[in-house]
Amino acid sequence: MMPRTGDEEQGGPTGERAQFSALLEDSAEDLYEHAPCGYLSTLLDGRIAKINTTLLDWLGYRRDDLVGSWHFSDLLTVGGRLYHETHFMPLLRMQGEISGIALELKAADGSRLPVLVTSTVKTGGDGQPLLIRTTLFDARDRRAYETELLRARQEADRERERLQTLATTLQRTLLPPTLVNVPGLDVSVHYHIASVDEVGGDFYDLFPLTEGTWGMFLGDVCGKGAAAAAVTSLARYTLRAAAVYDPDPAAVLANLNTVLHHEYNGTEPRFCTVVFGLLTPDGDQGGFRVTLASGGHPPALLMRADGTADYLPTPGGQLIGVLPDAHIATTSLRLDPGDTLLLHTDGLTEAHTAITGDKDRYGDDALLGFARVLAPTTATHTVTAIRDLLNTFGTGVDDDTAVLAINVPRPPSEEQQ
Amino acid sequence: MTEPLTLHTRTTPAGTVIELTGDLDHHTTPQVRSALPSLDLRPGQQLVIDLGGITFCDSTGISTLIAARNHALSANATIALAAVPDRMSHIIRVVGLDQVFPTHLTAEDAEAAWHPTPG
Repeated sequence: MMPRTGDEEQGGPTGERAQFSALLEDSAEDLYEHAPCGYLSTLLDGRIAKINTTLLDWLGYRRDDLVGSWHFSDLLTVGGRLYHETHFMPLLRMQGEISGIALELKAADGSRLPVLVTSTVKTGGDGQPLLIRTTLFDARDRRAYETELLRARQEADRERERLQTLATTLQRTLLPPTLVNVPGLDVSVHYHIASVDEVGGDFYDLFPLTEGTWGMFLGDVCGKGAAAAAVTSLARYTLRAAAVYDPDPAAVLANLNTVLHHEYNGTEPRFCTVVFGLLTPDGDQGGFRVTLASGGHPPALLMRADGTADYLPTPGGQLIGVLPDAHIATTSLRLDPGDTLLLHTDGLTEAHTAITGDKDRYGDDALLGFARVLAPTTATHTVTAIRDLLNTFGTGVDDDTAVLAINVPRPPSEEQQ
Repeated sequence: MTEPLTLHTRTTPAGTVIELTGDLDHHTTPQVRSALPSLDLRPGQQLVIDLGGITFCDSTGISTLIAARNHALSANATIALAAVPDRMSHIIRVVGLDQVFPTHLTAEDAEAAWHPTPG
């Protein structure tokens, strides 16, 4: 602000008063003609009775061209005329006023002028309508602003699509494209993506080890997005490499723990929970011996050929990557013909169910009940049933979910029973 | 929808108590992480995290507890959890952290259980 002198302080108010007087002498006629908006008065049938200079200048017409002969709708584009006829006038007649309607005027040179139109019906002393008064505001800036908004929005949509494509591509690189075929096993997997914008942290794999044995794992990295994806990738490759080095499941997870702990210790700890399994054909009845090691992961579910189902608890197993000597818990089982083993991530059990409302999660007990109804089953049936279940939850599944089921098929003779 | 998380810290002779109320998830955990460095923890003291008001905890919530533990250990202090809600206690058990975090029914119990270690 400029410093004021004493003189100005004395002279100031007097000067301002003089300016105000000049302003007040501004005639109503001049204000009408040169107002910063267009004025238009029409008869009830729309015929132009009066129009101000501002509007004439905008349109490039002379007063004599329009007054008495043209209708307001003659100034509009074809689309605008339709709108005027079907919406604008009926509403105006009904309400006596209408405001802020965006229309386009046609200028004398053929150019178009976007305007915002407000009209009121002037009535006489007896309440009968006499004429229509209309003000028009130049909406070119607004139109430019809207065009810019639309452009920015389209740009944002394109960016979003690019991001989603990237996230989906990245997600695919974290999962095997197809699982290998294990002779004598029915294997089925499903990965449910909760958000197309962010890469989730679930992973699984099934792969051959030494002659006749197979390794499999399923896990969940804490968090989402690129940082979690980096851990997922590291975990996947470490698990496969560690299994070649020493296929003992507890040793594989201990190895992963060392690698992750070394990489991600400190204020931003990154951990994963994972189940690693070693599958070995056992006996000549088609059975498999399965050794499972768990690092803080939800327990596997075993659905037996006899129709029973139970969790295979691995108590004491600790999450992988944040404790220097994470405890790995192991359990073994025999998978006989007709038995199905299911590994899952907690996106399934943590899902909000449509029935129970927002704060209630599906839960371990509900999953066990579900498995008891399914058993005896097959890997393919189990995964199909879980896909259907996830679909019933809809948007209630707020975290990625991976499920992997393996099953020793019954001999064909038994299946027919 | 995430419930906002409120964080309240108080100091006792045994050490700092952090009371958390609301959802502890990937939206709210940065708030807890950023509060950790300014905690005044002296060697031998105990950091207590009072989880009585937690309405939801996801995996990033668990990793925040680990970050808090790392912070306490680096100050030669210890950590304990108090008033752990059932669902969270279930998660902590599944991931095997029940062996790492001593837990108490209340923050007062945690304070009573603390013994100054000769330093």
